[in-house]
Amino acid sequence: MATPVIMPRLGQSVEDCILAEWKVAPGAAVEEGAVLAVIETDKASFDLESTATGTVLELFWEEGDDVPVLANVLAVGEEGEDVSDLRPQKETATPAPAPEKSQAPSSDALAPVVPVSASPVGSSEAGVSPRAGKLALRSGIDPESIQGTGPSGRVIERDVEAAAAGRPRLSASAAASARETGLEPPARGKGLAGMALAGDMQQPGAIEGAQVEPVKGIRKLIAERMMESLANTAQFTLNSTFDATAIQTYRKRKREEAGDASGPKITLNDLIAHALILTLKRHPDLNAHFLGDRIARFEEVHLGVAVDTPRGLMVPVLRSVCSKSLEDLSVGIKELVKSCLEGTVLPDQLSGGTFTLTNLGMLGIDHFTPVINPPEAAILGVGGISLRPVPGKDGEVTTAECITLSLTIDHQAVDGAPAARFLKDLVDTLENYPGEDVGQNNGEETT
Amino acid sequence: MKYDLGIIGAGPAGYVAAKKAGDEGLKVLLVEGKKLGGVCLNEGCVPSKTLLQAAKTYHHALHGETFGVEVSDVRFNFEKANAHKTKVMDGMREGIAGLMKKRKVEVLFGEATLGEGRKITVEGDTHEADNILICTGSSPTRPPIPGIDGDNVLDSTGILQLEQLPKSLVVVGGGVIGCEFACLFGSVGVPVTVLEALPEICPTLDSDLAKILRSELANKNVTFHLGAKVEEISQSEVKFSVNNESQVAQGERVLVATGRRPNVANLGLEELRVDYDERGGIQVDERCATNVPGVWAAGDVTGRAQLAHAASRMAEVVVHNITGRKDHMRYDTIPSVVYTSPEVAVVGLTKEQAIERGLKVTTGKIPMSVNARYLAEHPGERGLCKVVIEEGTRRLLGVHMIGGACSEMIFGAVTMLETELREEEIDEIVFPHPTASEVIKDVFMTVR
Repeated sequence: MATPVIMPRLGQSVEDCILAEWKVAPGAAVEEGAVLAVIETDKASFDLESTATGTVLELFWEEGDDVPVLANVLAVGEEGEDVSDLRPQKETATPAPAPEKSQAPSSDALAPVVPVSASPVGSSEAGVSPRAGKLALRSGIDPESIQGTGPSGRVIERDVEAAAAGRPRLSASAAASARETGLEPPARGKGLAGMALAGDMQQPGAIEGAQVEPVKGIRKLIAERMMESLANTAQFTLNSTFDATAIQTYRKRKREEAGDASGPKITLNDLIAHALILTLKRHPDLNAHFLGDRIARFEEVHLGVAVDTPRGLMVPVLRSVCSKSLEDLSVGIKELVKSCLEGTVLPDQLSGGTFTLTNLGMLGIDHFTPVINPPEAAILGVGGISLRPVPGKDGEVTTAECITLSLTIDHQAVDGAPAARFLKDLVDTLENYPGEDVGQNNGEETT
Repeated sequence: MKYDLGIIGAGPAGYVAAKKAGDEGLKVLLVEGKKLGGVCLNEGCVPSKTLLQAAKTYHHALHGETFGVEVSDVRFNFEKANAHKTKVMDGMREGIAGLMKKRKVEVLFGEATLGEGRKITVEGDTHEADNILICTGSSPTRPPIPGIDGDNVLDSTGILQLEQLPKSLVVVGGGVIGCEFACLFGSVGVPVTVLEALPEICPTLDSDLAKILRSELANKNVTFHLGAKVEEISQSEVKFSVNNESQVAQGERVLVATGRRPNVANLGLEELRVDYDERGGIQVDERCATNVPGVWAAGDVTGRAQLAHAASRMAEVVVHNITGRKDHMRYDTIPSVVYTSPEVAVVGLTKEQAIERGLKVTTGKIPMSVNARYLAEHPGERGLCKVVIEEGTRRLLGVHMIGGACSEMIFGAVTMLETELREEEIDEIVFPHPTASEVIKDVFMTVR
């Protein structure tokens, strides 16, 4: 009896996962627990493990597909078994409607069961003219892959002719390579009269002199979210520099107290995070979500921390940090960062933040314009330490270690002055850290 | 007068370029220091092949008894063979002159000197051209051997002008040229001794082929000494040593065939600042362009693939690029032929070359004697067809043949390589039966 392996639900908020990479091929013998594929949610990647022992009978999805949770991903069983009942229902290309209908029907009306990603440019909705279809067949070109220039993007004969003219003849070995590996010829090959040879074949979309990789998985999600952020918010950045002597002194003292003993090594970032949380409590305007028709101001702070990982930027969220001690905060951040780097972070840990902290100081950046993580109303960027002249005790000029903070706000949700007051309050908190009586500015933030 | 293309040298690169450029409507100047046709027509391919055919005919007349043809009193008349050679050469030269005239190519005879700004000076007159193609060919080298300047010592040019057969011949250098002349003179009864410095003759060939060639030529009055170091040439003999043991080869004439050197001197290339490569040839890219814009080079003068057909192809590539058609050289698919009896014809990679490039290969080989037509026409003659196949893709990488007139069928293998055919496709090609070419199909049965 063939058994399906299903796409697990990796978190309450996860509706589908990207099948990033197959680790097995049909015919492979697998045991329960064997890694079958790498799957990615919108924030992290995971191994898909086999829930059965046997032979891989059929892979139901292709790399790059968006697979809904609980859908069958592949079938494992004994060789030769029928798996047709296990194949998941997918959206299939709709047949071309009558060409007279110039308006393309809305694809939403057909409510796809599964969104199939990476669809070609095809214009199946507007159809392919019979002459174009015949020419495409003769030329060995898939008419669906052509952008039509006829009415409503209908593929007509000249489109097929142009597509045929733009691709070189393939040598026998190049054609085999195209069939077997999906490689594509360049516009002109190095063989007879521009024939494409096996050595000319390249990855689809290749660019000479460049290593090209498709935008997919986490990269694709980062790209979408960043673009969405800049397109849908009114971003405005304020910079302010604080004297880091107080937090440096405090950190040194903590280290001396700890001696060689274990326990968390308090970092400057931990101290800034702690001061940030204390300050945010006094400025709920900044600890908010802008939701278009509503603004949600949170009592509790759920702090997002931007982490640079080999797979790209991740923002894990440390939940309910208002009452956390500096030590607990430090441990919590370190554990989240570690799980992101190791790829063990859970999808639910990657969402639900109310404010995000990002730090490029260790990379030598003085200040920068952080990009808001929507729907959050603000994000704080931390720069590196630099020596700056400051007034000394007796009016002379001395130097101090200073750090610049960059606060980006969504001007839809917050105005400049309250944002500036928040930043000023934060600077004061940091310069007087740990301070017994911080927060004199309380009550002014809603003006 | 300003030309679109000025060509220096009217050999198989120069006259082909002139013809093609003329067809494209370019205004062409062709300058030649000696005779139209270059070394190929006047001192190389054409005269040597004419004489080789004479030798082959003589050999067939002598050995017709297998076929029931009994001839007595067979003689070789070198004078008549030479007359035929001259007639063929004259006819070909007239043909080229006609081609040039028809295309209104301006042909000038004299030494050309190039100058900055793409100027060409011939016999005191200076001409300008938008493009210059340098195809001045190559000349035989003369290694520093005591006695090499003696009257009895000839190079490949001089030996073609002999009016009488030598009583004996020593050939210094067992490369392609040395083997062809050894075959020619050996076949007509001249005792020939070939002295080759390397462990095998024709070192660029697959070693199985070279071995068979050596054994076939040994049946035609040719004695080989491999690993031979030539020490001195005197009036009637050549002193050489093998493994430090001195020996003497008798030779009324000595042919020195140790290679050819690009003709780059006295052309004004330094003034044009044209780069040379480590082989002493003009450095060109895959389009046969030199480092100087508008200056191109083709053929032996580039030091690459010293073959007439390679030169002609390079000339085509140059004209295509000048006239806006993208084209470039593919040296791997240029066939090489040794016009001995039997002939050797190869194209593509040997097994060793393929492995050097990091390819995983397998080979197949089949003796020519399994072929009905070959057996009927070449009784007792050894031959071999060998193929190199890439593992995995099963793509044909090389075809190596010795036997009969295999030069006439190598183009089929060239086509297969140019279109990158794989075993699977070649399997469906129909070869006429009975022909010797069927070995190219049958050899695949031996590929693992």
